[in-house]
Formats: sequence, structure tokens, C-alpha cells
Amino acid sequence: MVDVLRFESPVTTIYPTGETEDLTLGDLSEITKQIVRADSKTAAAEQLAVTFGSSRIDGDVIVLGQRPDEFLLVGTPTATASLVEGLDRSGHVSVIDHTHSRAMFRLTGSNASATLEKLCSVDWSEPMTPNGAVVSASLAKVGCDIARLDRGPDRSYLIACDRSFAQYLFDAIIDAGNEFDIAVVALAPTLV
Amino acid sequence: MTRRLPAQAGEVINRSTPLSFKWDGGNLSAFEGDTIASALLANDKRIVSRSMKYHRPRGYLTADFWDPNGFVQVGDDPNVRSGHRLVENGMTIDPQNVWPSLDYDMKAANGLVGRFLTAGFYYKTFIKPQAMWPVYEKVLARFAPGGTVDLDTPHGYHDKRYAHPDVVVAGGGPAGMAAAISAASLGARVMLVEHEHALGGHLRWGNAEDRRLLDELRGKVEGAGVEILTNSTVTGRYEDNWTAIVQRSHPIAVERLIKARAKVLVVAPGLIERPYVFTGNDKPGVMLSGAVRRLINMYAVKPGERAVVFTGNADGDAAIVDLERVGVTVARVVDARQGENIVVAKGGAKALDSVELSDGSVIEADLLVTAVGWTAPTSLLNMAGDRPVYHAGSARFYPSAEIHNVLATGGIAGDGDADQLLAHAEATGRLAANRAAAVAHRVQDLTARALPVQGPEPTWPEDDRQSLPRDSHPALFRSTTHGIVDYSEDVDSKDLVAAAKEGYDSVELLKRYTTATMGPSQGKLETVNTVAVLAEARGETIQEVGTTVWRPPYAPITLGALGGRVFEPVRVSSIQSWHEANGATPILAGAWVRPDHYGDPAAEVTNTRTNVGIIDVTPLGKLDLQGPDVPKLLNHLYTNKWSQLPVGSVRYGIMCAEDGVVLDDGVTGRLSDNRYLMTTTSSGAATIWEWAENWLQTEHPDWQVHVTPVTSGFTSINVAGPKSRALVSRLVDNVDLGPDAFDYMQVRSGTVAGVPNCFMWRIGFTGELSFELHVPSGHGLHVWTALLEMGNDLGVKPFGLEAQRIMRLEKGHFIVGQDTDGLTKAPSLGMNGLIKLDKDDFAGKPELAWAMEQSLPSLVAIQTTDPAEVPTEASQIVRAGTNEILGRITSSRMSPTLDRSICLGQVLPEAAPAGTELTIVMIDGRRITARVMEHQAHFDPEGQRLRG
Repeated sequence: MVDVLRFESPVTTIYPTGETEDLTLGDLSEITKQIVRADSKTAAAEQLAVTFGSSRIDGDVIVLGQRPDEFLLVGTPTATASLVEGLDRSGHVSVIDHTHSRAMFRLTGSNASATLEKLCSVDWSEPMTPNGAVVSASLAKVGCDIARLDRGPDRSYLIACDRSFAQYLFDAIIDAGNEFDIAVVALAPTLV
Repeated sequence: MTRRLPAQAGEVINRSTPLSFKWDGGNLSAFEGDTIASALLANDKRIVSRSMKYHRPRGYLTADFWDPNGFVQVGDDPNVRSGHRLVENGMTIDPQNVWPSLDYDMKAANGLVGRFLTAGFYYKTFIKPQAMWPVYEKVLARFAPGGTVDLDTPHGYHDKRYAHPDVVVAGGGPAGMAAAISAASLGARVMLVEHEHALGGHLRWGNAEDRRLLDELRGKVEGAGVEILTNSTVTGRYEDNWTAIVQRSHPIAVERLIKARAKVLVVAPGLIERPYVFTGNDKPGVMLSGAVRRLINMYAVKPGERAVVFTGNADGDAAIVDLERVGVTVARVVDARQGENIVVAKGGAKALDSVELSDGSVIEADLLVTAVGWTAPTSLLNMAGDRPVYHAGSARFYPSAEIHNVLATGGIAGDGDADQLLAHAEATGRLAANRAAAVAHRVQDLTARALPVQGPEPTWPEDDRQSLPRDSHPALFRSTTHGIVDYSEDVDSKDLVAAAKEGYDSVELLKRYTTATMGPSQGKLETVNTVAVLAEARGETIQEVGTTVWRPPYAPITLGALGGRVFEPVRVSSIQSWHEANGATPILAGAWVRPDHYGDPAAEVTNTRTNVGIIDVTPLGKLDLQGPDVPKLLNHLYTNKWSQLPVGSVRYGIMCAEDGVVLDDGVTGRLSDNRYLMTTTSSGAATIWEWAENWLQTEHPDWQVHVTPVTSGFTSINVAGPKSRALVSRLVDNVDLGPDAFDYMQVRSGTVAGVPNCFMWRIGFTGELSFELHVPSGHGLHVWTALLEMGNDLGVKPFGLEAQRIMRLEKGHFIVGQDTDGLTKAPSLGMNGLIKLDKDDFAGKPELAWAMEQSLPSLVAIQTTDPAEVPTEASQIVRAGTNEILGRITSSRMSPTLDRSICLGQVLPEAAPAGTELTIVMIDGRRITARVMEHQAHFDPEGQRLRG
């Protein structure tokens, strides 16, 4: 019926795009997101090789240990598919594509933590939330999974929430970041 | 500005930036940096308000944040603290609660009957007759103090922030600054909070040595990496050092509420000068020593021409030096340390003209300065559990308890010279930093995501600070005459004595009965004098009487600050933009914004029954279930059986709580051997997820089931109507939609409008032939618009929630939560066939086994005798001719299909048989008749249409 299916972002409000050094927010909802449910004793969990609250980058995929028995794989479609296909499914392991269930944003800049402080009660200091840390928390009263994934010297956070809350949360982050001159940027659906 | 002095060495005003403002209708001038108080006094405006009860003229007493007389209206902002708020160019400032004017206030007539307006007057006078209270209330409201609120005032931006500093220092005076510097030097993240506009505390209005020390400390603290919050107040300390800070100085927000989880809180608020109780102590012209020193040294304002100074301490002595330096004649120094005393401040109502001393002499003066000691504002310590203890030798209260993560320093902890105080503060800062490090180590070690801790947990640092000395000070609370104790509440010492005689002789009772200490200064000026007067009345010591308990807030908070930014999450489907663009009327269903209708719900029903309609049902709860033990879980959650559900089939079920009450209902389809998709009601999605996880994680952790919510992952569209198969078949590839191949209550997966990985269910809530499409949400809008485009010739139209509700009622489908309530057990729904008591244990089984044998209310279809009458939902069903309740209407609508009123209702068993005539009480009181129907469905009871 159609040649190419376009991914419809849950963020439909048009914000003027720009680029500032201090703070940017981009919509990464299109990026592939796979949930792997596997108990820590399973071979799959060992293969994924991250503990609860931490993450690691595996090529074009980031593996997030977002619950004690749940991993979120974020990356390009081929890289995530490859990682999933290589998983040992012995034991009780399930995989669900969450690309359409979860929206994802990237908040980057020197004031990224200060912006999150206005929305969330988590301690974003270096010792408590180092680069690579994965947090499940309420952001503006929306349950989110947040990973600190710095871009070079800049603080950067991947923020995932239920797709239905995406527009509300995007607006809330913009509101919180206004005092830091937050700018909306267009992002390709990759981690790069 | 007739009282403006030449430049003073420590002044904070910027004379190069003059400002103009309006006061009580007249134009006045000021300088940048002036508070409203200093600007008014510079313009020789000595009366600023009228007292709350007697409307006596009041002038400035403290001329700072705590001044009880300085509340004014600034534009549309009522109850502004004029001793604190800075003047802005063009500001309009007015006195509050005066009529017709500040100078001639008719309400001052209250003073004539003042002896009748004692404590408890209102309680005693207006308690009877009760019927008169509305009248009393209207009259009394006219006498209520405070400014006016304009309800049309635009909302300001009130911000909120969370913080996790190692150390919060409450108080930016010399001790607070020294503690902050010391803590920061050890690597602690420090937040220093000062409620005035600049750091410094009493150093700001001190002498040259004070100013030198201030410059030195400010330089150090600014270079120490400390987060400095001026014009901000730590308003409360809660469990585990959760401190609330109201920041009034933020550039983008009117106020910001900071919720800071401090590992250690350092309390360094300094001391608050106390007024003296004597007759006439509220006359304009009576000021505290700190007030005159602030006015002279910070704002270059001459507070009077001829002064009497009543002093019991060095601050009073310093005030004498300042007064004489700027040309105020100090007519008499009354030294309390020598046993001298003042008795009465004399003069007319509006100004002081002389002071009578205890030796009988009367000294002419327009200014009376008192320096009689201090209140230790131990509020934050009280909130941490401390109860202050009175020390008679120094005539003030001190903290008594050692609280491991709350430390006190500065004047609140003791006296001494500057070196001693700074040394104590620095030691406090070090102790705070070290204790914070110990707390941080423990917290970090307990947090999975945190950096690994280095080394073992530090031992808890002991408090080895050298205690500060306590200087002797005469006990000066009340003279030999009576006077005002609480300026905000117009409570004088005679009121307190009378209340004590009436039996309100506990300080907590006295406080509530007289309202002393309950005004805007929250007891900072009044508490100690209140206690002292009560002690005198009881013939006891101050320590024996004790204090009231200071609770949050430390200073009053605006409702805006408490509200902060309001987070009200809303959920929308991927089709929301289309709904908005096409005129949908929204309705909030839980957190979901849904289209209620597109203009004409009845037409939407008719079109769906005639042609084909599509509805966005994305909020329908959807749970992905995977694992070999899913049937066990389903058998446990639902009341019916699930072990034999074939792949490709869907089954309906009811879930009950353990008490047999209906919790939710929905269908679950088997997608493959070990994968199922469960749907729940829209409002029940989160509850059922938690319900399932609860059973799996507590009772059956051995079951191999993964439950994952996927509600938003699929955009759900129900295609309903006699032409729905024709429409869906135009968009679906490789799935046989024929009635034999894809029967009612079956599920298929396939590609819809080019979108792979879609699920299709042959179910519906409308009673029509229906296909429920679950499409990956990133393509939901595409499928929705494709359905509309491809079905144009079939008459496809969208329909909203209201049309769906009408059609489900026509069909007799109940809604959990509307047609059921918190007492409705499953047998009431007429679906006993779905309750399988021969199953192994399932949620609610014992209760249901009992309930099945009982006569319970039943859900039945009801039609009114007059087809045009639509009873309001929740209308009572009663026994004819009585008010005896037999049931209630749970759902009602006018049916466009049947052209008549239709209802569902819960009725007692005796009223449930088909054909029973019922009496319904309408909302306007009329009684109408109705009849119980044979089938629960008003329309197509055989289900021919939905089976297609």
C-alpha cells in the first residue's frame, strides 16, 4: 500500500529548532528499543553483561539494566536485532519490541542536570549518577527510565517514557529548560 | 526625602538610581536598594498601618522582614512585608484594611470598646444563636485584616526544584558564612540560604570593623563554590533533613520552592531582637535598636530627632553611638543594667512625644529605642526534635538536644567575641562536612547506580566543638505597666493575664485562645514575652512554663510557592492530532484525553449501525504475557477457565478481587504457544498490571510469566458496523477475513495498510460486526487515515466515546466501575456461567463460592414507561409509594437506534425478574415508572449482528 512507512513521532508540537551550547532537547522516539526480560541467572543476562542501574555500549546499541530482570536495548534496527538474535534464550527469557511503546528524548548540555532537578527528585551528582548510570524515576510525574550517556564533555541523558505521555513530558522539559535557553534539535535515530 | 542622611559608609542604597513610587495615592521618591520601609521613613511617613483589632496607628518597629506593623498592599499583591520588599520604580503601595484612610480610620472606633474585645471575645459572643452565624460572618469579614486579592490577577510563574546538597546552612550571617566556607573547603557541596537580600546578618549595619569582616567573609564564601541563595528562607525541616527553601530571588520565577535533601543542616539564623512590653509600646516612634541601626547605616535614614534609649546590652549602646553620629539628640539613656526602666510611651494616637521613666521623670522625645535582648529562633531545631531550654543568666532560650545531622552555630548557640563565634562556626562547618561525607558514603554504597565507594564507611564524626559562652543579660520582658505583646494580633499583656485567670494557663492553650504568636511573624518577636508574661501570671519561672512548639513554616509561605509548577500529566493516542484537527470534543478519561464526539453522537451511532464507524480505543489496557505458565496466571486472575484456549482464539473474562468484588473485565487472546495479549478496561490497565505482578512476585514467583504493559505501543482502532468487513478487507493483506475463516472471538496477525505486525480481533463493544485493529503506534495515524480514505464510499465516519457508550448500552454491555461499584460481586452481573468454582484456587474463589449461594442485587436492563424520560444516572429505584430503596440506575441514555430511553440498573433480587414494574425517583423529585426487561441487551439480544 505504501512504499516507505514513516515513523510518526509522538511529539507533534512544532518548536523552533536551534542549537545552543548550554542545553538541547531532541526527539529520539524513532530509535529501536527492545526490552529483554531475563532473570540475572539466565545465560541471556550474562550475555547482556550489565547490572541493574548501569549500562554499556555495544557497537551501535546501548544495553541498559533498567530493572533487576529487565534490559532495554537501544540502537539501530540491525544492531539491536543482531544482539537479540544472538541471545541464548534458555531459561525464561522474553523479548518485546518497545519502539512504538516508549518515546525517547535526549537532553544534552551543561545545564541538563539542572533541568532534570526541576522535574525529578533524583540526585544527579557525579557520585550518585555517574556516566552510564540508569535510573527509573518520576519526571514531572511521569514514570521514566533515564540513562546518563554523556556526549564528549557534555552531560547527556536519554529519557524514555510511555509514548502516550510523550508530548506532555516534552513540553514539561522545555518549560523547565527555558531558564537555560533550551533549544530543540532534530536528531537522527541513532546514538551517535 | 526629608529624613535622608548624607552618604553612610555601609549604605546599601544606590543614590545614582533614583526611583519614584506611589504611597497612599501620593508620589514619593526613593533610591535603588531602599526597602519600602526605609523609603517611607526617608519621606517622613512614620505611620504605615493600623493594628488588626483596634486599628491603632502603627509605625515601624524592626524595619526588617519580621516587622509586624509593616504589611502593605503593593499593586495587586496583598500582605507585602514592607520592611523587606525593595522599592521598584513606579510601584503603587497602599496601606491595608483602613477606611476611609490611613490617617482617619473609622475602624479605630474599635479601640473605644477595646476593653470588651478581650481574648475569646469572638468565640464567646458569636457562638449563639447558631442561625445568626451567616450574618455575623458577613460583618466580621469586613473587619478581617490583610490586603485585597484581585481574582483576575494573572498567575505568576512559581518554580520548583529538587537539590541534594551535602550541607544546607540556614542563615547567611557571619556564622553561617564561616560554616559554609569551612564545609566547602573540605569538598562538601554547600547551599547557603539567607532570607535578607544580601549576606552578612548584623554585620551589614555594624561599624567599620564589622564591615571589614563582612567584606572578608563575603569574598571567601563567593570564592568557595558555595551555592548562595539570598532573599530565600529555609521554611521547614522534615524527616531525614528534607528541607524546604523558598527562593524569592530567582530571575525567571516569582518564587521557587526548593526541596533540598541535606545530608547535614546547619542552623545559623542569628538572634532576633525582642520588643519590650510597656504601655504605649506600639506608638509610632518606638523602635528596636536594630531597626534604628539598619535605618541609619544601611539606608541612611534618620529615624527621629530626639531620642530616649532604653538599653540592656551592647547593641543598645551601639545604637546610641549611631544616633549621635547622625545628629539625633539622645535626650536620655535609660540603662537597664543599672536598674533603670521605662514605664510609659506618651503622646497622641499617632506619635510619641515623651517617655515616662520609672523614677517618675518624663523626657520629651519623638523616638524611643529599646534594646532588651533577643529571641533565639530555634524553629528549625524544634522541627528536628529539639526543645529549647531557658537560661536565666542570659535571659534567652538555647537548643538542648544533640541531633546528629542538624547542627547549630552563631548567636543561637551562644555568645562570645567575633573570634570565638567564627571559630565555633568553622568547627561546625567542618563537622557538617565530615558527617555529610559519612552519610554520602552510606547512601552511595546502598545505591546500585552510584559510583563504587572507596574504603570502609567512615566512623561517625564526634562533636568536639568548644561550647560558646553565654553572656549575662538582664531579664527584660515587661515593665511595671502593661502593653502590647503580639503586635500582629493586637494582644496585650492584660489579655494574657486574663486568659491565664480564665484557666488557659498552659502556654499552648494560651497561644490558641489569645492567638498570641500566631501572626505573620510566627512568634519570632512575641514568644518569649508571651511566656514571660504567663510565667509572671502563674508565679512560676520561664523554664517551668516552657515554650510553644515551633512548627513549619519558619516564615509564612505563599500558596503560589507551595503549588509550584503544577504537573498534570495527560496521555494521548497517536491519532490525537487528527482528532483535534477534525473538531473532536475532548473528554478526560483518567489521564487520557479522548474524543467524546465529533459533533453529533446520535448520528455517529446511526452511521455505525448502518454503515461503518471507526473509534480510537488506544487507551484500552494491553498487557503482553509471555511464558509457559501464562495459563496458570490467567486461571488465577479470571473467574473462568483458560487452560484450553487455542492459538488464534480470544476469550472474555471477569476478574475479581479476593472479596469477590468485580475488579475488571476484558478479553485475552492467544497469539502463539507462549504469548498472549490481555486487554483490560482503560481505567484498569495499571491496576491489573500491578495485580498480576503482585501475584507473580509474592504468591507464585515460580511461575514463568513475563507481564509487560504495551498499551501505548499499539494504536487500537475498532472498526464497527455492517460494512466493517468490507472496509478492513481493503487494507489487510494475507489474512482471510471471511466469517468462516475469521470468526467472532478470534485473533489474527497481519499487515494493515502496509503496516506489519498488527493484530486483529473479531470483537467489539458496540454489538456490531467489529474488527479491533492493534497497530504499532508509530503508524497509528497512517492506518486511521487510510481507513477513512479507503472507506469513503462505504460511508465510514469516526465515532467518539459517547456514541460507543450509547451502543454498548443498547447492547447491554456493562462497564466496570459504572454499572458496578465497590460492593458488586460477580454473581450480580448475570454471568454465573463464567464463574468456575471447579477450578483450582483463583482470586476471589472462596468469596464467590459463598456469594453464589446468596440473593444478591442484579444488574438488569430497564426501560421507562414513557420512552422520552431518561433518568439521570444514579437515580434511585424505590418501592412504589415509599422511599424504600430497591436499587439505582447505573447507566442511561436516549437510544437513537430504538428511539427511546434505555437503562441498566442494579436492583434487589425481588425487583429483578423480567416484567417487574419499578418506580424511579427523578432528579427533580418526580416519580416515573419503568419495567425490567427480559434480556440485558436492549438491541439484538441474540447477537446476530456482532457475529456478522
